[in-house]
Amino acid sequence: MKILAVCGFGVGSSMILKMTIQKALKDLEVEAEVVNTDLSDAGSYGADAIFTSPDFVGDLEKRVKNARLYPVKKYSDKEEIKGQLKKMLEDMDND
Amino acid sequence: MTNVKKEHMQIIDSAEDYEKAIEIAAQPLLDDGYITKDYIQQMFDTIEKFGTYIVLADKFALPHARPSEAVKKTGLSLLVVKEAVDLKDNPVNLFIVLAAKDSTTHQDTLASLAEFLMEPKNIDDVINADSVDQIKTIIDERWN
Repeated sequence: MKILAVCGFGVGSSMILKMTIQKALKDLEVEAEVVNTDLSDAGSYGADAIFTSPDFVGDLEKRVKNARLYPVKKYSDKEEIKGQLKKMLEDMDND
Repeated sequence: MTNVKKEHMQIIDSAEDYEKAIEIAAQPLLDDGYITKDYIQQMFDTIEKFGTYIVLADKFALPHARPSEAVKKTGLSLLVVKEAVDLKDNPVNLFIVLAAKDSTTHQDTLASLAEFLMEPKNIDDVINADSVDQIKTIIDERWN
């Protein structure tokens, strides 16, 4: 499974988001690859799920076809991210 | 790259708005030639364009912009504002300005900052510190 952490430029915030996702995955004992990038590149990764700011969800829906998008308000809030990861796993089970 | 240099840390009581706070936070980087004045404007523009996701945790923001000519050297500066500043409906007491010359050199530093931020107590301890020396000690112990 490949998860994408997306922010505006792919240099600062998305790196923090990636680290928090990795930590949350470890707590949930789920294996996944996490990559961070910026808005413009998000479509080129073929990710299974995209984690990003609520502000970017609309933009990413247009850029990435059939993307599963999970908004995160605070990029270093592990509990918020755990909640979204659980939702993602449920969504995948329901396919 | 190490974490924040002591000379790049400041504590103030209040700031009139978040733009003023970011300007003050970035001043040591400007004075030491890490950034030009353009970078400060670029950080404001980023907030206008992309919103408030730079508020990465409660009370904490990481103002930054894209790597550009306005960054001469990769660096970080830190500002504690004792009275929370409103950043578009998010109260913020701790600002860490990131100036990145490229998209790679600061990655290890950010990875360890991420670990530091995941523990809310770390942020509170920095905000409640009485001096820059205390902040430096907290950061050196827990963010490395």
